[in-house]
Amino acid sequence: MFRQIAISCLLTAMALPAVAHTRPHYGGTLRVEVEGDPWQRPGGLARQLVLDGLTATSVDGNVRPALAVEWKPENDNHRWQFKLRSDVHFHNGTLVSSTNVVAALTAICGAGCPWTTVRAVGSSVIFLSDAPLPSLPELLATDEYRIALSGAEDGALPAGSIGTGPFQFVSFSNGVLLLAANDNCWQGRPFLDSVEIHAHRSIHDQWLDLSVGRADLVEVPAEQLRHAHEQRLNVVVSGPASLLALTVSDTGVLSNANLRASIAYAIDRSALSNVIFQKQGEITGSLLPAELTGYSFLFSTERDLNKAHELRGGASSQQLTIVAEGGPEMQLAAQRMALNLRDAGFNIQVASSGAAQHVDITLRKIALESSEPGPALELMLRKAGSPAPVLEQTPASLYKIERQILDAHMVIPLLYLPCAYGVGGRVRDLRLRADGSPLLAGASLEDAP
Amino acid sequence: MNLRQKLLLLLSLMVAVILSAVTWTVLVQIRQVFEQRDQEETALFVSQFQREFQHRSAEVAAAVDRIAASERMRNVAFEIAQSGDAAPYVTEAQTLAQDAQLDFLEVTGPDGKIVSSAQWPARFGYFESYVWADQATFLKTEDLVDGSSALGIFAFRAVGRSDSPGAQALILLGGKRLDKAFLADLPTAPGMQIALYRHEDQAPSATQQGHLGPDMFPFDSKRLIGAAGEVAHADRYGPLINSAFHSGQQASAILYLTDRREDSVSATAIPLKGESGNVLAVLTVAISRGGMVEAQRQIRDIAYGVGVGGIVLAIVASLWIAARISRPIEQLARAAEQVAEGDWDTRVAEHGRDEIGVLARSFNHMTGELSAQRDRLVQTERVAAWRELARRLAHELKNPLFPLQLTVENLVRARELPDAEFDEVFRESTRTLGMEIANLKTIIGRFSDFSRMPRPQLERVDANEALRRVAALYFPASMRGVEQKVDEKKLELKIDCSLKNASEPLWIDADPELLHRALSNLVLNAMDAMPDGGSLTLSAQARQEDVEIRVEDSGAGLTPEECERLFTPYYTTKEHGTGLGLAIVQSVVADHNGAIAVESREGGGATFVITLPRVDGSIS
Repeated sequence: MFRQIAISCLLTAMALPAVAHTRPHYGGTLRVEVEGDPWQRPGGLARQLVLDGLTATSVDGNVRPALAVEWKPENDNHRWQFKLRSDVHFHNGTLVSSTNVVAALTAICGAGCPWTTVRAVGSSVIFLSDAPLPSLPELLATDEYRIALSGAEDGALPAGSIGTGPFQFVSFSNGVLLLAANDNCWQGRPFLDSVEIHAHRSIHDQWLDLSVGRADLVEVPAEQLRHAHEQRLNVVVSGPASLLALTVSDTGVLSNANLRASIAYAIDRSALSNVIFQKQGEITGSLLPAELTGYSFLFSTERDLNKAHELRGGASSQQLTIVAEGGPEMQLAAQRMALNLRDAGFNIQVASSGAAQHVDITLRKIALESSEPGPALELMLRKAGSPAPVLEQTPASLYKIERQILDAHMVIPLLYLPCAYGVGGRVRDLRLRADGSPLLAGASLEDAP
Repeated sequence: MNLRQKLLLLLSLMVAVILSAVTWTVLVQIRQVFEQRDQEETALFVSQFQREFQHRSAEVAAAVDRIAASERMRNVAFEIAQSGDAAPYVTEAQTLAQDAQLDFLEVTGPDGKIVSSAQWPARFGYFESYVWADQATFLKTEDLVDGSSALGIFAFRAVGRSDSPGAQALILLGGKRLDKAFLADLPTAPGMQIALYRHEDQAPSATQQGHLGPDMFPFDSKRLIGAAGEVAHADRYGPLINSAFHSGQQASAILYLTDRREDSVSATAIPLKGESGNVLAVLTVAISRGGMVEAQRQIRDIAYGVGVGGIVLAIVASLWIAARISRPIEQLARAAEQVAEGDWDTRVAEHGRDEIGVLARSFNHMTGELSAQRDRLVQTERVAAWRELARRLAHELKNPLFPLQLTVENLVRARELPDAEFDEVFRESTRTLGMEIANLKTIIGRFSDFSRMPRPQLERVDANEALRRVAALYFPASMRGVEQKVDEKKLELKIDCSLKNASEPLWIDADPELLHRALSNLVLNAMDAMPDGGSLTLSAQARQEDVEIRVEDSGAGLTPEECERLFTPYYTTKEHGTGLGLAIVQSVVADHNGAIAVESREGGGATFVITLPRVDGSIS
């Protein structure tokens, strides 16, 4: 018996650390490395940690309350009322009120907001619009409409850095952005004490730092996922998070719809997927991924060079310009697009972003920011420069809308790409949102004291 | 042109001709020397370029060899052969090229499809259309992402698999650019500029080359690149480069980059050919001719300076020579003119013992002899004139003196006669004495008048009027226009006198009386020359700045000898007369600053021509 008790105690003692191991610990500094600017808008990692929106997107892609606790549409989505969460303070102690929320929203987009008017009424924020905004909650959950206290920064803090998020801005020097945990966060204090974000680090250096333990979280571009696996990095990968697409201008020579159609037929998606993105992308001919709609297969993805020539016909060989937004892999993809289009007889030149005075075709990534098809489509179209409310949410109507949009060939979907991050051994409970961004507020470190 | 000017011209011409010949010869020699130097430098550069090219080619080949032989590349070849998936290696070429310091690198599969391209990563999966070369390294034009193309030295190697080295899995095509960095590495001499030119479009093939005109590929000056970038005045190289492109042969020419000769260059265009023999680019070597032009300019400046100095020297020499030679000659010439004008006392300075000195001495001796002879002649003539005067005087005086003597002798003899006869003889004798004494007085009076010719009192006289007055005096009837019966006894009536006056007054400054006297003497002489009658013409006319008065008779005329002596005092052709009439006429004419001449031939009459200075009609 004594022997049994001893064995039980031994087993219990062995299990205890395991139990203790699975429970998150408070404390520690998470070291993150990124290639770009963590404070850039949209998509900067630091912004997501420091600022909250009225709404937020959950891990499963659904919209949930954030600074607003509830909302309701009125007048056929022409009027929205968002009731603010009470007793929420900015990092400097200022109480979050409808007034400063309205001021923040106005400062974000000014006269270019999707709504016509936004005003504070008591503890609510009222949105009025001429066009219906059925997906306003999903829109306000995007990174673009996060709320920052404006006009209260002292000289040490950059503009728009006082928020209500789980972390607060501390400093940004020598390329290192330091965020400290917000002890009074309305979501609860995060497990981490601080987050240290090293900006402008190349992928190669990030992976090197991860491998030697100098970094806890690094970026893994989709086209390098395979390589990351080969290097035995611990990688977390999201589902389809962004759509790689071509947006085609309808001005100048491209006002000819046949030419735009010819462009669509000339693109070789398989080379993009298999080579440039190393089979990590999902070839698509639709705007929404198959997981959301189920009708993606109805949109053709095959290259038809003969059709492309036929549609182009004897159109003039005026030079077209293609620009890629993003890093080297996007530039490579744009060059490949240019080659495909030259095969179809187009006279095309790849230009650097910002250098070209007139851009005919843009290769860009459009984030999938909702797991709801309707809002996702509306947000996607808005990002693609074709803002239009998606009123009908049924698959048939969504298909019809997509078909209508894609038949105009002003948006040519190419691939769906995931987001991925390399994670260090001491990071725990790191999850990715539907848009592929990491949810650091819920992460913890294993070796935190 | 005088002697001094001729000497100056001759000396200057000699200096200029000699200097020009020397300068031209030197300039030609300089140009030849510089051109030869340029050719040598160009040839040296070409050989250096070829060495550098070979060196660069060897570098490229070695780099490609290293890549091909590397374990990494073999493993890639193995992985691709095993999996058939080349996608993971799409960026491999970029990494390899960077490590090997190559500008171009393509990895191609055995099927010819590009696996990875360093210079154009997006070209994976496309076929590499290049025909493989026989040579280890070669020139090739490579297309780039931005649509342009670049020229490079390339080498290709096959890559074996790590598991089966003999099996060819991949092909590597690597290269380095031939651009301004390559040009900058080439060793160049001072003043030498090298540049590289490529046509934008695909160069013609070797078979096409000779059949295409130069205009098929118009010259684009922006595509001529030197070590420092764009080449200044690139458009001037166009024809030379096109010639090399068109012919495929090296071409040379002198190019004037600007309007200044100093900016000209001696340019050579060297075609760079690809594997198939077509010209892919042209390398130009331009050597500045500034040094040669500068040297030529300096020599020309020196030549001009020496020429100017030489001409100045020639002027000085000619002045010195003139002082030594031409001036004495000019003095001699002036002295000779003075002698011709009558100044026989002219002398010239005698300097030196040379020919000029001898000539001067001879001249002085000549003028001295002439003066002495003139003096002797004057003396002789004076003596002759005195003798003639004495003879004439004796002759003239003797005539009346003989009757005087006879008369006095008759009176003496008549004293013996009775008173009545004596009275008769006395009366006759006294009459004869009176006549002969009057004759003596007349003769003496003429002599006295000739010796005391008065100075003319000049007045403004019309020559026409003077003639008319003389004619009216001796031929009054003719002047009145009255026809009169010829009286054999009156000579003046047997002579037909005509007066031809000018239509306008012929004004002269003359003493009216002296002039009348002179004209009267001529008229009387003319009348004496026509004892049997004849015609006498008196005329006056203007001759430029003179007035010409002619007295023309139709008498017996004069011989040339008589014409020469006519104006000599006491010379006469008449039996009676003092011989002073024409001498008086000549004296009067001379006093009026005129001249008198006679035109006659024996049996043809005589014309006396008096020329007097004409004056205008205003009162003098």
